[in-house]
Order: sequence, then structure tokens, then C-alpha cells
Amino acid sequence: MDFSITQEQKLFRETVYRYGRDEVAPLCEEADLRGEFSREIWDRLASFGIFGLPFPEELGGSGADLVTCCLAGEALAHAGVDGGSLLAWGAHTYLCAHNIYDFGTDEQKKHYVPKLASGEWIGCMGLTEPGSGSDAASMRTTAVKKGGSYILNGTKTFITNAPVSDVFVVFANVDRARKHEGITAFIIDKGTPGLSTSTPFHKMGCKCSSTSEVILEDCEIPADNVLGGEGKGWIIALSGVEWDRCTLLSPMLGAALFNLDACARYANERHQFNRPIRSFQAIQHRIADMKVFIEAARLAIYRVASAKDRGQMLNPLQAAVSKVYAGDRGFEMASEAVQVFGGYGFMHEYPVERNFRDSKLAAIGGGTSDIMRMIVSRIMMM
Amino acid sequence: MDYQLSAEQMKLQQDMAAFCREEIAPGAGVIETCDAEDKDARMRRNLERLGKAGWLAIGHSRDGLDLVDIFLTGEEIAKACGATFVSARASAFLCAGALRLFGTPGQKERYLPKLMDGSTIGSFAYSEDQAGSDLGAITAAAKEEDGSWLIGGTKDIVVNAPIADLFIVLAWNDPSAGPDAGLSLFIVEKEAQGLSTGHRVETMGLKGVPIASISLNGCRSSGILGDIPGMGLDQVRRLMSMGSIGIAALSVGIGTACMEISTAHAKGRKAFGRRIGMFQDVGFKLADMFAYNDLGRMMALRAAWAFNTGDREAEVLAACAKLFASEAATRIVNWGMQIFAGHGYIAGSDMERLYRAAKFGEICEGTSEMLRQSISRQELDRFAAV
Repeated sequence: MDFSITQEQKLFRETVYRYGRDEVAPLCEEADLRGEFSREIWDRLASFGIFGLPFPEELGGSGADLVTCCLAGEALAHAGVDGGSLLAWGAHTYLCAHNIYDFGTDEQKKHYVPKLASGEWIGCMGLTEPGSGSDAASMRTTAVKKGGSYILNGTKTFITNAPVSDVFVVFANVDRARKHEGITAFIIDKGTPGLSTSTPFHKMGCKCSSTSEVILEDCEIPADNVLGGEGKGWIIALSGVEWDRCTLLSPMLGAALFNLDACARYANERHQFNRPIRSFQAIQHRIADMKVFIEAARLAIYRVASAKDRGQMLNPLQAAVSKVYAGDRGFEMASEAVQVFGGYGFMHEYPVERNFRDSKLAAIGGGTSDIMRMIVSRIMMM
Repeated sequence: MDYQLSAEQMKLQQDMAAFCREEIAPGAGVIETCDAEDKDARMRRNLERLGKAGWLAIGHSRDGLDLVDIFLTGEEIAKACGATFVSARASAFLCAGALRLFGTPGQKERYLPKLMDGSTIGSFAYSEDQAGSDLGAITAAAKEEDGSWLIGGTKDIVVNAPIADLFIVLAWNDPSAGPDAGLSLFIVEKEAQGLSTGHRVETMGLKGVPIASISLNGCRSSGILGDIPGMGLDQVRRLMSMGSIGIAALSVGIGTACMEISTAHAKGRKAFGRRIGMFQDVGFKLADMFAYNDLGRMMALRAAWAFNTGDREAEVLAACAKLFASEAATRIVNWGMQIFAGHGYIAGSDMERLYRAAKFGEICEGTSEMLRQSISRQELDRFAAV
């Protein structure tokens, strides 16, 4: 048993934190207000090497383990980088590029991963459909084989990065009668005839990530662009769970750290009734609850990451606990942070307001809290 | 970073669980309901059994205390019988732990072997009627006479008092020096003149724990723990901070016991043609029970590891662990009661016993409110104007 991070990881986290605070966070408030993806934020994250963290050096990455990837997400959010920009990174690196890296042929890897790792290309992944979210296996998008190609038809929705993406990993079923065994993943390049995206959605939070539908209308994809083999899509869709349940959640932990710092600072500065509000127990108790949440969420998230780094099998219970706790309790804690700031917390200039909106996504995206509880309870009932 | 228990730690946990299943769990119901005399005899027997088999010595080494091992074994005892855990802990951790950490070599040699094998039962008497979290408000005081300390005062809720052979008592040695320098822990043997045990205190839950008040009337102490006066408050603080790990063990043990019986019930009981655990109202409660037990255990182990490795964060992590695990336990038993419904409300049922037991964690050795204050202070001070 060893809960520590290495000296190298500690230094890395500090460096990322400083970079995020000085070079990225100052752009976030305005970008969030515009409600648009910010290529400037993207490029600053790219130039720091954030997008290539988990990939080997020969593919343009830096060969970081999961714990280190989580530290980066935690540090950037702690520094005040918005949840949307970090979500854009997560969808790009972990859902798109990493799936190509894990399941792609050598040619696919060489072609796609370096440009995704550098951030020159932006990637996304399309699984969810208007009629299938938690029940992803019931997707209606079809891929019909025709000679050396597949013809794809269907609509994907809530696809993070879609409006700005160069590379799309999209799931479609080659034979709906085979249900999940027919699901196949395809790599689709921007500009492919029949591929289009809708107008970006207006979202409650994570506004600096751009989200839209992906529409496939007789979109012809060469068989060379099948990812991982026909019928292997379902395995790919499920494979990233270790990554999702830690790297995509680490910004939630970072946002809670940001909120705790912000609230503790504000509680010292703000005076009411001739006392700093830190002297009121109701404020103190919120601060304590935030700290407890941070410690518990940190353990849940890094347990998933370190187990994978050590080559252990995914424990689905631990993965679900990580998601449900960071999602549900994280949102409650973000709400308490707004409460500490009172009226100011309701204003856009105060980042606790943005974190509150951004944090709701963690209980929804990538498997709702309800689905997490269903997974845990079904295992317990076995 | 590695969250896995070592092979030795896993074996320790399994062996402890097996022992508790055989020797402790079967009596958990009876010790809750039998008459007072029988309760005390049974508890003494439980502690002797644990001691003889070597379990009370777990976590003790020549150099100090291994909080990870103390947590792992503690959770299993608490899961089998919360009352036995509270009593065993008062002896093996609070009393023997204080001796281990602060005692002179002579004091350790004299008392520890018998506390470890269960032939002596220890007790730790620190709080008073008007002094719990605010220990500077205690009134018990000692006077030095002819080279020994005579203590006067009353301690009103003392775990193990009815069965204890050895007491460690917090009292003033010099009220003028203030709480930080004027309090000491005194060793008092059962046979000491002027020591008397008062009425047995009946509790809402954990009814098997022998609790009584003690009165000290010019009671002759066998010495100051560690032989240096004025260290009492600091010693209590250090011990209680580590003690948070034990209360987390109690809470996780109770929570896990509740989760297991609730899961078994949800599998066995059918309604509307389905096992009730397949309804989300029941199944999701089981999932939340799992999550909270799991996280509480991780937080306690994290804090225990911090103590073992001398991490500066150990105390605040321990406070977080106790706060989290104890509040989790009361939520868990509440969910468990909903799952059992009428069957859980029947006096003498396991569910009802756990429901009453869980509350203790939130109020003992620092209420949740006090913990929140101390946890927040550290965070707030990071940004205090200097």
C-alpha cells in the first residue's frame, strides 16, 4: 500500500498548475460567456503537450501513465481552466485518439495519432444517438457493406467536439439483428461526403466544448477505416472505462480544489456583522464538506488510475463508485461553493458559478449516476 | 501509488474475519439484550478470547502503533459485534495505545503484556459531565503528596469501567498552567484506594459495552503516564486523532454488516414476482451502501497509512475519514431499515441493533460538528491574512 505520488509527478502537477493558471485560465471566463469552443485555449493546451500525454514518444506523445494524466486534468481545473475546455481535451484524447491508439492498425495509428497528439487535428467520438443513450447497444445507425466500403446512415447526438473535429470515431451496426455483436467502429475524416454536423447545441455548462449532432447520409467509408475489426465496436465502446472513470473525472476533483481555495479565500476577506464570514459555523461546515469530498474523490479516482497503471483488471464496482461519487457529490459541493459566495456566486464573473454549471455533467455524461447504481446493484444481486 | 493491501495485510484481514465469525458474531445479539451482569461477564470473555488469540496485540510493536493493521482488524470485529469492538478498543487502543505511545519503559513493561493478552482490561477516562470536546473544562485534579499523586473528581461516561482493571485518567496537575501545560494522564489501578465505580450507564445502542461513571476521592495514582507532568492534553489530542481511525473502523464495520444483511434480504425476498433488489428503489440503496462503505474504508486506510508514514496530513485525513464514515453509517442503516421495513423494526433483529449502533460514530470522540470545525480551520487558515 502506497498512496503517494512520485517526486517527478509532484513537480509535473505543479508545472501544469502554473501553466494553467498563468496561460490558460485567463482566457476561460470570456470564452465561457461566448459559449464557444476557443481555438486559442486549445492551442495553448496543445503547445504544452497536454493532448499527447498518454501516447508513446514515437507517436508524438510523452508516454505518461494514467496517474500522471489524471494529475494534469486535476491541476488544470484546480488552476481555473473551465470544464468545457477540459472536456474537449478528454473527448479528443481519451475517446478519439486513445481508441485509435488501442485498436487501430499500424497505418491508422501512424496516420492519426501524431496529429491528434499535437492538437493539430481535433477528434471526437460518436456513440450516443437521439434514441439511445444509456442503452447504447440499441443504436440505429447502420453500416452496409458495399464492395470495399461501408455505407453509413444515421444520426449521432451530444457529440463533444463534433463541430470542430477533423477526425470522427463513429459507431454503427453492420447487422442490427446481431445487436451489440454487429456494432462496428469507423474512423471518418472531416470532409467525407455524407458526413455533416448540426448547429452546435447551447448547453447549460461546459460551454467551451462544442457539441452537436453528427449526421451520416449515405456516407461511404473505405473498409480500411474500420477500427478494430467488424463487430468489435461494442468492445471498443466499453474498453475505455478505466480511462473514463479517472481521467475524465479528474477535472471534477480539480474544480473542487479550485472552489475550496476560492471559498476559503473569500471567507477570510468577506465581512458581515463586523466579522469575517469564516467565523460563522455554517460557512466553516461547507468548507469542511468540500475538503472531505476532495479527499474521498481523490481516492476513488486515483484508485482506478493506479490499478490500470499496475496492470490490474478493471474492478467495475470501483469504477462505478468513482463516477457516481464524483458526479453526484461533486455537484452538491459545487452548489455549496456558490452558496458561500452568496449573490456574487450567482454572477458570471465568479468562477464558482461556472464550476456549478460545468459540474452537473459528471452525473450525466459517460453513463449517468443511475446507470452506475444499476451496475453496482446488479453485481451485488448476483 | 498502489492501493492494494499486501498479502500479509489481506491474510490478517481474512484471519480476523474468520475468528470473529466463529467466536464473536454469534454472541452479538445476546450481549445486547441480556442483563447487566451477564453483559459484563460476556464482554470480559470476549476480550479474553481476543487477547488469548493474539488479536488485541495487533498493531502494537515495540516502536509504536500500526494504524493500518488496527483498522483492518477493527473493521472485522466491529462488523461482527460493534459493542465488542468498542470495549476491546478502549482497552487495546485507548489504554494500551496510550501506554505504548507515551509510557515509560517501566510502565510499558508492567502493564502492556497483560493488556495485550486480555488478562487485564484497560479503560481511558478523560471526558466529564461538562467537558467533552472542550477538555480544558474538566474539573478532576490531582495533588502531589509524599511523591505520589492523589486524584479527586468524577468521570461520568467511562467505557469498560465496570470490568476494567486499569484506568488512565485525565486530570489537572497544575490548573494555573492552563490546559496546554497543566493537564496530565494518570495511571490508576483498580485496587487503588479512593476509586469507586458508579452506576452502569445504559446506552441507546452498542448495549453490550460496559459503561459506568467512576469517582476518585483522593485516589492514589500509580504515576503520570510518561512520568512528565503537563503533557496530558497533547497526549489526548494525539491519541484521539489516531483514534478517529478506530471510529471509522467501527462505522465501516457496522455499515458493511448492514450492507451484507440488506443484500441477502434483497436477494431472498420477493414482491410482485421479483426479488426486491431488482427494483431500483432497493437496488440503488444497495449500490449507495457499497459506495459509502468502500469510500469510508479507503479514507480510513489512507489516513492510517499517513500516520504510519509520518505524513503531515495524517490528522486532517483521519478527521475526514471519521466524519465521512460515521455519517455514511447512519445513512446506510437508514437505507437498510427501509429495505427490511417491518422486519427491521422488530426488537432483537440484526437490522434494529445496527440501526441503533451506527449513531455512536457521529457523536463520540469529537462530534461531526467539532470535526467540521477543525477540518475547515486548516483550509481557512491557508488564506488568512498574516
